Amino acid sequence: MDEKFDCIIVGAGVAGLAAAMTLAKNNMKFLLIEKGEFPGSKNVSGGVLWGSDLNKLVPNYWEEEDGGWDRFINHRRLTFMDEQSSFSVDFKSSHFNEPPYTGVVVLRSKFDKWLAGKVEEAIAESDFAMDSFVAPNILVEEVLEEDGKVVGIRTGEDKFYADSVILAEGVNNLLTRQVGLQDKYVPADHMLTGVKEIIRFDQDVLENRFQLYGRSGMSNEFVGHATNGVEGGGFLYTNKDTVSIGLVLGLKDLREKEQTPYDILNHFKKHPAVADMIRGGEVVEYSAHVVSSGDKRVMPEKLYKAGLMVCGEAANLLMNAGKAIQGMDYAMRSGILAAEAITKAKEKEDYSEASMKSYQDALEDSYVMKDINNFQDAVHLLHDPFMVDKMPNLICDFGRNFFSIKNEPTKKARNMFSDSVKKHASYWDLVKIGAKGAKAL
Amino acid sequence: MKFYVCIKQVPDVNAPLQIKDGQLIQDADRNILNAYDASAVEEALVLSEKHGGEVEVVLAGPEKAKETLRKALAMGADKGTHIVTNGDEEFDSYSYAKILAKFFSDKEYDFISCGKQSQDTDAGLTGPMLAELLNLPYATNAVGLEYSDGSILVKRQGDAGQEMIELPSPGLVTCSNDMNDPRIPSLKGIMQSKRKPVDTISLDDFAADAASEEVKTKVLGFEEKPKREPGKKYEGEPEEIAREVAKLLDSEENVI
Amino acid sequence: MSTLLTVISVNDGKIKRSSLEVLSRCNELAEANGLTSAALVVDANAGEIAEQLKSYGPDAIYTIENPIFKNHLNTPVLKALSIAVDHINPQLVAFASTESSKDILGALAANKEAGALSDMSEFELTENGVKGKRPVMASKIISSVEATGTPVIISVRSGSYDVVEKSSDASVEAIDFSFNEEELRITLKEIISSSSDRVDLSEAEVVVAAGRGVKDEEGRNMISELASVLNAGIGASRALTEAGDYDPSLQIGQTGKVVSPQLYIGVAISGAIQHVAGMANSKVIVAINKDPDAPIFDIADYGLVGDLYKILPPFIEELKKIKQN
Ligand SMILES: Cc1cc2nc3c(=O)[nH]c(=O)nc-3n(C[C@H](O)[C@H](O)[C@H](O)COP(=O)(O)OP(=O)(O)OC[C@H]3O[C@@H](n4cnc5c(N)ncnc54)[C@H](O)[C@@H]3O)c2cc1C
Ligand SMILES: Cc1cc2nc3c(=O)[nH]c(=O)nc-3n(C[C@H](O)[C@H](O)[C@H](O)COP(=O)(O)OP(=O)(O)OC[C@H]3O[C@@H](n4cnc5c(N)ncnc54)[C@H](O)[C@@H]3O)c2cc1C
Ligand SMILES: Nc1ncnc2c1ncn2[C@@H]1O[C@H](COP(=O)(O)O)[C@@H](O)[C@H]1O
Repeated sequence: MDEKFDCIIVGAGVAGLAAAMTLAKNNMKFLLIEKGEFPGSKNVSGGVLWGSDLNKLVPNYWEEEDGGWDRFINHRRLTFMDEQSSFSVDFKSSHFNEPPYTGVVVLRSKFDKWLAGKVEEAIAESDFAMDSFVAPNILVEEVLEEDGKVVGIRTGEDKFYADSVILAEGVNNLLTRQVGLQDKYVPADHMLTGVKEIIRFDQDVLENRFQLYGRSGMSNEFVGHATNGVEGGGFLYTNKDTVSIGLVLGLKDLREKEQTPYDILNHFKKHPAVADMIRGGEVVEYSAHVVSSGDKRVMPEKLYKAGLMVCGEAANLLMNAGKAIQGMDYAMRSGILAAEAITKAKEKEDYSEASMKSYQDALEDSYVMKDINNFQDAVHLLHDPFMVDKMPNLICDFGRNFFSIKNEPTKKARNMFSDSVKKHASYWDLVKIGAKGAKAL
Repeated sequence: MKFYVCIKQVPDVNAPLQIKDGQLIQDADRNILNAYDASAVEEALVLSEKHGGEVEVVLAGPEKAKETLRKALAMGADKGTHIVTNGDEEFDSYSYAKILAKFFSDKEYDFISCGKQSQDTDAGLTGPMLAELLNLPYATNAVGLEYSDGSILVKRQGDAGQEMIELPSPGLVTCSNDMNDPRIPSLKGIMQSKRKPVDTISLDDFAADAASEEVKTKVLGFEEKPKREPGKKYEGEPEEIAREVAKLLDSEENVI
Repeated sequence: MSTLLTVISVNDGKIKRSSLEVLSRCNELAEANGLTSAALVVDANAGEIAEQLKSYGPDAIYTIENPIFKNHLNTPVLKALSIAVDHINPQLVAFASTESSKDILGALAANKEAGALSDMSEFELTENGVKGKRPVMASKIISSVEATGTPVIISVRSGSYDVVEKSSDASVEAIDFSFNEEELRITLKEIISSSSDRVDLSEAEVVVAAGRGVKDEEGRNMISELASVLNAGIGASRALTEAGDYDPSLQIGQTGKVVSPQLYIGVAISGAIQHVAGMANSKVIVAINKDPDAPIFDIADYGLVGDLYKILPPFIEELKKIKQN
C-alpha cells in the first residue's frame, strides 16, 4: 500500500478532473485529492464551459440522460446598461444546435461530481483499478521536496509519494505559493470576487421566457450599470429549471467604493432589464468565490518545477474580456496537457525540470496562452473606468433616442450619436477607447 | 466481539430539493451515509479497537449506494455486505427490517447496531423492528457504549434524563449522533477500502419473499412546508431594541 | 364497536400533555365515526393516573399496573402493550411521540405485524387504516402517508392538537399482567440524570434556548434568569449539549426534542435546519444573534441583531418590569 504513485493531483476541480481522466485513460497510477466533502461541493462558476474539450474526456457526453451539464448555448447576448435602459447585441444561431456543442452551462456541484464519477469509471477500466484513487474530504497541507525535486505530498501526519504532483488547487493557490512559483502575496487589485445566485422557475416558465427548446440555453453578459459603478460585469445563464445570475467585481474597487457584492447583486437584480427576466423566481442558493483577473502580470512565470506542474486557475489561467468569462475551459485544457506531459515523462522516466517544461511549452502553443497573450489589452480595457461607466451610458442614451418616436422631426442617427457622445464623454475619449479596443480585439 | 452495523444511504437534507407534482426531487442527487449510522460505525470501531473484534457493515439499497458502503469501509469497517435493490421499490422501515432479519438469520454476532433513525424520514422504526424479528434484547437512542464481560453498557437518552442499561450479547442497539463525532476517512482508509471484501447479493435472489410482501405504509405525496414569513429585524442600540421588543412581546403578542 | 386506543405517557406520576392531545384527537374521531375512544395506562401507579384521565373524556380506560414499570425498561412495557392490544383489539393504537414511545413503537409494530407511522403532525381515519402527514427532510417538507391493516400504530408530535377537557364516567378496567425478572433480558444499572424538578421542555409555554454564543457562566446565568422571569423551560442547541454545558435532554431539534411553545427565544443560535426542525412550530419566535445574516432570522418574528451580553440585561430588566405590573 505504500507504493509510489505516478502522479498525485491536488484539487478535483475542472483542471484536476481533466488531468485525472487523462491519466486514467493513459493507464497511469494516480491519486486525486480533494479537500471538499465531494468534488464540486464548494466550487463556483457562472458557468458556461466553453469549447469542446469535454467531448475528448467523455466522448458523446450529451448522450447521457443524466449527464452533469444543464443546457447547451445557442443564444448569446451582450448587454450594455445605464440606470434604466439596456442595449443588447444578440446572436442566436441554429448552427450551434448540434453536438459537439461549443458551450454548455454547468452547475459545478453537480458537474464536478458527475465528472468525478466518470473518472472512477475510467480508473476501473485501467490497469490500476485497485491502485488509483479519488479521495475527497482530504486537505493537502504540504508539497514534499527532496533534493530540489517534488516527491509527494503531506496531509495531516501522513505522507504520500509520487514521481510527480499536479497542483490544480484553484485560485486560492497556497501550495503553488509554498513551492515558490508565485509570490506569497498577490495584491488585491489583481483579484476579483464573484457572487452568484441560483434562481428557480417552473421549467415551462423558464423555457417560454427565454425561448428555449429542448436543452438549448442562453448566455447573457452585462456591462455598465450592472455593477453600480464598481469595476466588473454581470452574467445570466439558463440552467435546466434555474438561472445562474451573478457578478464579478474588482476587490480593490469594492473596498474603495465601500460597497458589498451582495448589495450590488440586489441592485443588479432590480434593473428593469434583469427584473423582467427573473420575475417570479425563487432564490435557492447563494455563493461567492474569488476569481483571478486574468492579468498576465500576476501569473506565475513558471508553471513547473522538477516533478511538479501547476494548472487551471492555480496558474491564473482565466480570461474575462467582457464577452465571456473563460476559466473552466482553460482549466480543462491545461489539466489535459499536464497529464499528457506526465505520461510522456513516465515513458522517458524523466521528471526533471526540463521534462516538466514541455507542459508549459504545450500550453504556450495551445489556444489558452495564445488567447491570454492576445487579449491582455482587452482585459485591461474592460477594467478601464470608461467601460464601466461612460460607455454604457452613451450607448443606452443613443438607443433611447434611436428607438423612440416622438411625433416630431427625427434626427439622423449620426446626429443622435454625437449628441449622446457629447452628453457622456468626449470624442477624444471615444477615439482613445476605440484605438485601444481595435488594438485589443 | 463481532459487531454488525446496519447502514443506510439517505438523501442529503442540505442539498437543494424541490417538489413537483407531489414528488420530491433532489436536484443534485446527493446521497450520504445516514449521520446516525456514521455514529454507530464510529462507536463499533472504537469498541473493537479497544477490546478486539470485527466490524461488518450491511446496507440494503440500490447500486449507487455502494459509495456509502465504501465510506464505512474507509472509516475502518472490516467487511461489507450490499443487498442490492432496484431503488424504485416503495419499501418502508418494516420492509427493510424484514430484509435485514433474513440476512441475520444465519449469521453469528455479538451485537447489531443501527442508527436511531433515518435522517431523511426520521422514522426510527427499523432498529426495534429488527430486534423484535430476531427476538433480541435491545436498547434505543444510545449516547454512549462501553463493553465489559460480554455485555455492553448502553448509556441512553430518555425523555427526562439518561440511564445506563446493560445489554447482553447477542443484542441490538440504536445509536444517536450525540454519541460521538464520526471520523472522516483518512487517505489511507480510502485506499484500503478498495481492497476490503464486499459481498454483493441481489435482493431478488435472497429475500424475494420479504420484499414482495405487501407494504403496510405508503407515502402518498409531498408538499412544501408552509413558509414562515420573516418578521422584523431590530438593529441598533442593544438597550433600545431589547426594551422595544420586550414591550412588543407583551403589548402586541401577549405572550409574557 | 371498534376502538381507538391512546397509550398515555406518564412522567414522574404526571400525565404528559402531549398524550392528552392525542387522546383528545381520538375522542373527536371516535365521536365522529361512532367508535370507542379508549385510554391505556401502563405504569407503576396506573390506577391513580386512570382517575385523572376521567377529566379528558375517554369512553373506556384500561390499566396495567406493576412496580416493574418504574425501571423504564422496554421489555415489560412491550409485553404489557402486546397483551393490551390483544385484549382490546383496537383498530388504532396512538402514542404521543416521546423517547419512550420511540423505544417500543417499532417492536410493537413488528410484534403485531402492523403498519406503523411515527411522529405524525396530523392524522385521520380511512376505511382500512389511517392517513395523515408527517414532516420529513429535517422538517423542511411534509409528506402525506397512509397505513393500512389492523391495528395501525402511530405516534403523534407534541403540539399537533389541542387538549379538550371533558368529563367522562368511563369505568376503569385493569388488565391481567404478570412479569418475572427473568424475562427482563436487559438491566437498568443506573439512572444517571433526571430532570423531574425542571419545567418539562416539550410542554413549556415559553422556551428559552441557548446556542453556541452563550459561552460562559455569565451567559448561562443570563439564560437562567431570563427563563425564571418568564417561567420558561430552558433548551439548548446541539452545540451546547455536546459541549456538556447543558443536559442532553434539553437539546431541541431533529435529534432532540420538538417544542411548540407560545414563545420561543433563541439566544445565539444560528438556525441550522436540524435545530429549526424542533422549534419551527412555536407561535412567536424571537432570535438574538450578532450575525445579521444568521438563518434563524428568516423565521424569527422578532430578530434582535446584536451581542447577547449587551441585549439580555436590558431585555430581562424590561420583562421584569412588565411582569411586576
Ligand atoms: C462567479 C463566477 C463565475 C464564473 N463563471 C465562469 C464561466 O461562466 N465560465 C468559465 O469558464 N469560468 C467561469 N468562472 C471561472 C471558473 O470557475 C474557474 O476558472 C475554474 O473553476 C477553475 O478551475 P480549477 O479546476 O482550476 O479550480 P477550481 O474549480 O477552483 O478547483 C480547485 C479544487 O481544488 C481543491 N483544493 C484546493 N486546495 C486544496 C488542497 N490543499 N487540498 C485538496 N484540495 C484542494 C478545491 O476544493 C477545488 O475543488 C467563474 C468563476 C466565478 C467565481
Ligand atoms: C443528523 C443531525 C441532527 C442534528 N440534530 C440537532 C438537534 O437536534 N438540535 C440542534 O440544535 N442541532 C442539531 N444538529 C446540529 C446542527 O446542524 C447545528 O450544528 C447546531 O444546531 C448549531 O448550534 P448553534 O446554532 O448553537 O451553533 P452555531 O451554528 O455555531 O451558531 C452560533 C450562533 O451564535 C451567534 N453568536 C455567537 N456569539 C454571539 C454573541 N455574543 N451574541 C449573539 N450571538 C452570538 C453566531 O452569530 C452564530 O449564529 C444536528 C445535525 C445533524 C447532522
Ligand atoms: N436499507 C437499509 N439498509 C441497512 N440498514 C437500514 C436500512 N434501512 C434502515 N436501516 C437501519 O435502520 C435505521 C433507520 O431506521 P428508520 O428510521 O426506521 O428508517 C438506520 O439508521 C439503519 O441503521
